[in-house]
Amino acid sequence: MRTLAVMIATLVSLTLLAGGTVQAAEDKQLFEFYCAQCHGLTGKGDGPNVTKDFKTDPRNFTSVADMEKLSDADIKNVVMDGGAAVSKSELMPPWGKTIAEADVDKLVAYVRKFCKCKAKGK
Amino acid sequence: MKRLPVTVSILAAAVMATSSYAGGDAIFQKDCADCHYTVGPAREKTISDQLAKKGPELWYAGSKFQKEWLLSWLQDPKPIRPMKYNSLTEKNPADHPKLSAGDSAAVTDYLMGLTSADVKAGVIKPKKSAKGRLIFTKKMPCSGCHQYPARKGKIKGGLSGPSLVGASKRLNPDWVYAYLMNTKVFKPVRDMPDFAGVLNPKAMEKVAAYVAIFK
Repeated sequence: MRTLAVMIATLVSLTLLAGGTVQAAEDKQLFEFYCAQCHGLTGKGDGPNVTKDFKTDPRNFTSVADMEKLSDADIKNVVMDGGAAVSKSELMPPWGKTIAEADVDKLVAYVRKFCKCKAKGK
Repeated sequence: MKRLPVTVSILAAAVMATSSYAGGDAIFQKDCADCHYTVGPAREKTISDQLAKKGPELWYAGSKFQKEWLLSWLQDPKPIRPMKYNSLTEKNPADHPKLSAGDSAAVTDYLMGLTSADVKAGVIKPKKSAKGRLIFTKKMPCSGCHQYPARKGKIKGGLSGPSLVGASKRLNPDWVYAYLMNTKVFKPVRDMPDFAGVLNPKAMEKVAAYVAIFK
């Protein structure tokens, strides 16, 4: 009986783990598809678009000092409405018509992981 | 009796035109279909679908490209995208296969026959528009991802999207406008934002007219 319980618990854990891994892979894919061209694959703000002519430094998501100043709502707003809407660079596009809001929430959570820091107000 | 040679000539011309088209289709299926699909509507539903593609979809090529450019490019293809298709780490290897002049003509005929009803002809006239320039270079993020010919002969802009240098020869301005207006029809999954609802149709017209002068 005890063996059966252990087997079930193991199966449940593995299933949850697999689900989490799939979700993590999906979040990574979202980030790499929509954000990494400017913010870089490792979030340092050094994507291939950032040439010497690029008019601003895309946010470096690994910077604790910068990221602690932003709430998750701040990040969500700039993703949805673009940089110009929050008095930042117009080179940050408005993604609200392109990326589903649920995916924007995933992106905000993903971006937050780069700095391993707390959001402003949390 | 005089009519017979005329009829024969017309028939021969029709047969040649048909065989040229069919030849282009056959050449395309043999040499190009591994990387490009030509039957619309758009197939991509997820990011993975888009990333699985080796090259851009061509089911609306006849609405997108200018014939003279296509004919010449297929014989001597130069990179349009600075980066390899679907890559952010590898540069474009500039290894697109070349076609002979004859194959290029046949494939061009085939591709120019693939049009989209969502592209209306004669809407956009190329124009050096101050408003279009302002939107493209300052108000909107276009230059973040697309190279373009800036002032004094300089090329500026980001590398992740297709370059717009030479767009005046390559792209049909009506397609650029239709693409801005109704992006999802052409590319339901893409890393370019949908500007419908962000820019009004008049502003999109200005941008399309401005892009249409890029040398």
